[in-house]
Amino acid sequence: MVIAYTLFNPPGHRIGTLSMPRLLPILCIVALTSPVTAADPKVDFARDVLPILSDKCFQCHGPDEKARKADLRLDLKEEALKAPVIVAGKADASELVERLAPADPAELMPPVKSNKKLSAAEIATLKAWINQGAAWGQHWAFVKPERPKVPTINNPQFTINNPIDAFIAQRLIREKLSQSPPAEKERLIRRVTLDLTGLPPTLEEVDAFLKDDSPQAYEKVVDRLLGSPRYGERMAWDWLDAARYADSNGYQGDGERTMWPWRDWVIRAFNDNMPYDRFTVEQLAGDLLPNPTKEQILATGFNRNHMINGEGGRIAEENRVEYVFDQAETTGTIWLGLTFTCSRCHDHKFDPISKRDYYSLFAYFNQSPVNGGGGNGQTPPVIDFASPEQEKKRKEAQAAYDTLVIRIVPIERKLREAGMVKNKEGKYETTLPQLIESALRKGPNDRADQNYDELIKHFKDKEPEYVALLPNLRKAKQARDAAAQGVPKVMVMAELPAPRETFMFTRGDYQKKEGKVVPGTPTFGKAEGGRQKGDAAFGSVLGFSAFRLPPSAFPRENRLDLARWIVSPENPLTARVTVNRLWQTFFGIGLVKTTEDFGVQSERPSHPELLDWLAVEFQNPTPNPLPQGERGLNPAPPSFPGKGVGGVGSPQPWDVKHMVRLMVTSAAYRQSSVVTPELRERDPDNRLLARGARHRLPAWMIRDQALAASGLLTSTIGGPAVKPYQPAGIWEEATFGNKRYQQDKGDALYRRSLYVFWRRIVGPTMFFDAASRQTCSVKGTTTNTPLHALATLNDITYVEAARALAQLAMEKGGATDAERVAFAFRRVTARKPTDTQVKILVAGVEKQRVLFAEDKAAAATLLKTGDSPRNEKLDATDHAALTVVCSLILNLDEVLNK
Amino acid sequence: MHPVHEHALLQSRRHFFGRTATGIGTAALATLLNRDISAAAPKVIGGLPSLPHHPAKAKRVIYLFQNGAPTHVDLFDYKPELTKRKGEQIPDSVVKGARFSTMTGGQTVRPCLPNITNFAQHGKGGAWVSDFLPHTASIADDCCFVKSMFTTQVNHAPAICFMLTGSEMPGRPSMGAWLTYGLGTETEELPGFVAMTSRDKEASCGQIFYDSYWGSGFLPTKFQGVKFRGSGDPVLYLSNPDGQSRASRRTALDDLNKLNELTLKEFGDPETATRMSQYEMAYRMQMSVPELTDFSKEPQKVLDMYGPDVKKQGSFAFNCLMARRLVERGSRYVQLLHAGWDQHRNLNTQLKVQCQDTDGPSAALVKDLKRLGLLEDTLVIWGGEFGRTPFLQGDIKDVKSWGRDHHPYVFTVWMAGGGVKAGTSYGESDDFGFAPAKDAVHIHDFQATILHLLGIDHTKLTFRFQGRDYRLTDVHGHVVKGLLA
Repeated sequence: MVIAYTLFNPPGHRIGTLSMPRLLPILCIVALTSPVTAADPKVDFARDVLPILSDKCFQCHGPDEKARKADLRLDLKEEALKAPVIVAGKADASELVERLAPADPAELMPPVKSNKKLSAAEIATLKAWINQGAAWGQHWAFVKPERPKVPTINNPQFTINNPIDAFIAQRLIREKLSQSPPAEKERLIRRVTLDLTGLPPTLEEVDAFLKDDSPQAYEKVVDRLLGSPRYGERMAWDWLDAARYADSNGYQGDGERTMWPWRDWVIRAFNDNMPYDRFTVEQLAGDLLPNPTKEQILATGFNRNHMINGEGGRIAEENRVEYVFDQAETTGTIWLGLTFTCSRCHDHKFDPISKRDYYSLFAYFNQSPVNGGGGNGQTPPVIDFASPEQEKKRKEAQAAYDTLVIRIVPIERKLREAGMVKNKEGKYETTLPQLIESALRKGPNDRADQNYDELIKHFKDKEPEYVALLPNLRKAKQARDAAAQGVPKVMVMAELPAPRETFMFTRGDYQKKEGKVVPGTPTFGKAEGGRQKGDAAFGSVLGFSAFRLPPSAFPRENRLDLARWIVSPENPLTARVTVNRLWQTFFGIGLVKTTEDFGVQSERPSHPELLDWLAVEFQNPTPNPLPQGERGLNPAPPSFPGKGVGGVGSPQPWDVKHMVRLMVTSAAYRQSSVVTPELRERDPDNRLLARGARHRLPAWMIRDQALAASGLLTSTIGGPAVKPYQPAGIWEEATFGNKRYQQDKGDALYRRSLYVFWRRIVGPTMFFDAASRQTCSVKGTTTNTPLHALATLNDITYVEAARALAQLAMEKGGATDAERVAFAFRRVTARKPTDTQVKILVAGVEKQRVLFAEDKAAAATLLKTGDSPRNEKLDATDHAALTVVCSLILNLDEVLNK
Repeated sequence: MHPVHEHALLQSRRHFFGRTATGIGTAALATLLNRDISAAAPKVIGGLPSLPHHPAKAKRVIYLFQNGAPTHVDLFDYKPELTKRKGEQIPDSVVKGARFSTMTGGQTVRPCLPNITNFAQHGKGGAWVSDFLPHTASIADDCCFVKSMFTTQVNHAPAICFMLTGSEMPGRPSMGAWLTYGLGTETEELPGFVAMTSRDKEASCGQIFYDSYWGSGFLPTKFQGVKFRGSGDPVLYLSNPDGQSRASRRTALDDLNKLNELTLKEFGDPETATRMSQYEMAYRMQMSVPELTDFSKEPQKVLDMYGPDVKKQGSFAFNCLMARRLVERGSRYVQLLHAGWDQHRNLNTQLKVQCQDTDGPSAALVKDLKRLGLLEDTLVIWGGEFGRTPFLQGDIKDVKSWGRDHHPYVFTVWMAGGGVKAGTSYGESDDFGFAPAKDAVHIHDFQATILHLLGIDHTKLTFRFQGRDYRLTDVHGHVVKGLLA
């Protein structure tokens, strides 16, 4: 079991007192995905060899022509297999092997200064491969997936609900591991409800599920959840992270924008189960569809979610190019799972993406009329979502503001003039403090909020009449701005009437233009269309087979052609990348761990055939994908109560709900997440899925869970962003007082996290480890730090939720502490606490009661946390004591995890 | 296995073997009560086992970042040639078609502008320092003035990002994140990496402190700098809710631990053990952070050294003393950012005030560290993102509105302490202070040198992301041997 042993230990790292042999990580990966053992000595190029060559050699002997040394390429079959570099069948005669352990240390490859070194095992792999004939191949992700045969599992110890389980079981059997038993029903319904809606199940939903003994009980729950409007809200979050959605521009100034109708479009698309190909095409090129609807144009807001730099001194063209870079790279990451950024400056070091490929992709997005100037969060092209009332309000607010400005400008002019004196040189200079002079000079419109305070303070005694006007002016300006900002205008995509020429840039510098390029889809190494011979990556056999769509319907290729290429059945990446992201959503980690990278340097899939099966199933679902068999359950075809395709009957091509359903109804998903020490040691990241996934909820979901469990949640869907509790001064400190956080009141405080206003330069503080929403992010990170603990213990949101939950428990849970803590516990965890747990919680209430009985004022103060009203009939000491215990419940490890 | 994951596992092991199931609360309390900073042997928490690559001269860093770009030609880089040629066009042979920001990019008249105040030589090393910085002058023999720094960025945000993260685009890990990832920290009660911001009293410039300046990029977010706030609780959500006493919280946490212990036993997830220790650490931070910000036990002499602003939360002086107190307690990296150096048209009015705000506290910090014996293994860095043009921005006749534009081509920073050749200057600019004349130091060289002082080979501290091994210095950087002690 040497391989399994090295598998889970990093090179040179120590665990406990054991020192591990120094083995390179790549071997671990090889071992994990498909062990090379004595029984199976056949070396596979794509699986075993290419990762070594890529990681250790391509830096200098790969696609990047400029970095290439000794005119040697190891990414091309014809070049690499040329004697004496590699002599097929004869490792000893191959110079490549010789140089890995040369007699003269100066000859060593990779050179010492590269900090790269091949392990003995890697050298052995290369030798074996050459001796076996040096068969060449392609990087797996660039080969179009074929539907693999679903393995037949005859082991009665495995539950096979659908093909996912067959692939998982096949691997487990090979690893001599077994499936875990299903999770208890309460834990399962909580897991799936959180996963599909981001909210915990209600007690009624739990009870109904517990009572339902039919074999389809769980599937019924899943279908109900897929039909809930909460599903779209939940799925939207990850998409907004990827699409770098926010409510402000970022950078200095950080002006507001009104992209929320686009966010609502995403929610609707998920709820309606819009097929993913349409979802893709509409967002990338909805404006270019024949007779596009307003909704289809709205969808293209996707590409305008990038940051906007309104910093003074910035050159418009520099900004514009940055925006186009962002659009091209975001598209590359989300749909192709490839990193294009490197190729801004040079051919990709590892993947067959030439610099020309990059700029050909860039060229599709380079045709928008946006010129990069200004920092307006509603920079045209936009579509207007103003209602007639909003339009009226905007005009009125402007008029009210103008009236005041007309009165105040002459006064300010006089004040400035009065401050001027002639100096010795006969020039005028001001006697006013610099701050005041500057505030006056700015004029009412450009003044920051803080300037108003400064003016009021300075002129308070000297100019009372003027000072009396200032608060009104400030209010009128705020009202005017609010009215203007309230009118949602969504930035969308459009094409320039005449094409903008696209050039490659030297080192990505927009001023240094190189060769001209035209829009063209990456060929990944194959010369076709816009590509030219002689490009560095030209002819690389690592590339997947080039394919072209039928000629464009347009005079020149545009974003619609790109979008269609992305969702073409020939594209080997889009479906794989997407199902992998969905897998990550529900299992916590992708089948390919590097969700953001499917290139040559990516991690090999843990279950390559499963990934391919899912990718093909996504594009071409089988009418009934579930295997027949004695043990194989054969539930009714999916029946989504939601609108759109995927309704009653068979799944449609690119049917997201179908894929989600497959995943969450699999036995793999439904397993208990209890882990033995042995299994944890063997598979700490749970890549083999011998147990159910256990992960901390994202910060936003922790908040939504608390709001739902406490009964505070407001269920409104969509609309302008809201501003719930946030510690004072966060925005002010980050923006030098230019942006003031005006906390909302009432229901808005309890809207779902999805609707919380996202200021880009300082994101909502309650989402402690969320994506930055500055650039595309397809992989969340959850961390475990004291700062999170402080947030969920002390943030008003959570304390108020604990207070409201305690109140519910007192009103509805029963008369005794035991009943009340059990009620609260169950509302959050969906299950009844054990006797031991009840005992600890009840003792906790008693201890808190003693403390609050001694300090009634403290109880009263604690119960004032948050704006929601309290039932004053409840005894304050009891309520405060139970509030602390409910806060404890909301912080349980079990509650923070699913 | 991922090093971070391994760390969690180690913690859970420590947890299993190190304490009994019920005794966590009392154990934590005992630790707190018995805490003695000076006596405690430094224990490294986290960090990579392969580090340090070589013995470290510096164990920790305080970076006094001067946001907005201090004018090198008025503060450190004395250029008599500019006085000689006052008002004359700076020669084209010097400018060589260099690019400037849009603010002077269109300006065709570029008259040489002499230093606006006097210079003198200080200390045994004879360093030139402007008389706007008398306190800095007094520590000249502790400093190495690097006078040949240059960058490639001409606007603030990209240049700051470049300096602090090695890339002009936001999204890479910042220096502090790299260092805490690589070296871990020596405190369990305070963050290993802290960022604090302040700005000039006149609020003359609107530069924003983006959180990417202390971000963790693609490193796990636990390595992100913890931003101490300038008002209210220094750490977000630090205080218990109004009405909940510390005793009530302790009791609740003890019960929480008991319940989590059951979960740990049932599920066997090491993250549960980590979470339990994080909640304990949060509780300890609730005491250690107020203790950190409580200056009442500092000798009056020390407080006086930092100046009158030292008691004002959010001021540069306050932050300087906080920085000392943090490193004293085991933090690895403290990043200060102080704005207000962007003198485009207020050189003659604002620069002096700006210097008064920063000069005293900066020098006091160095002296204070020295007094405590910490300077020898603490690296202090002072400087901005670029320099300012040796020529005038504005109208030479309008003295009050004299200014200087952004100047990436050469500028000065100083370093003191941990392994730096004290009492020296490194590198030179040309006669106009326009470009390096000798021993040019690129940002990546500077970063490589900082890592070197901390025992790190900058080419070996890497992290794989999107298929590529990334590092602070990208694919560049050479250690500047000439400024090492």
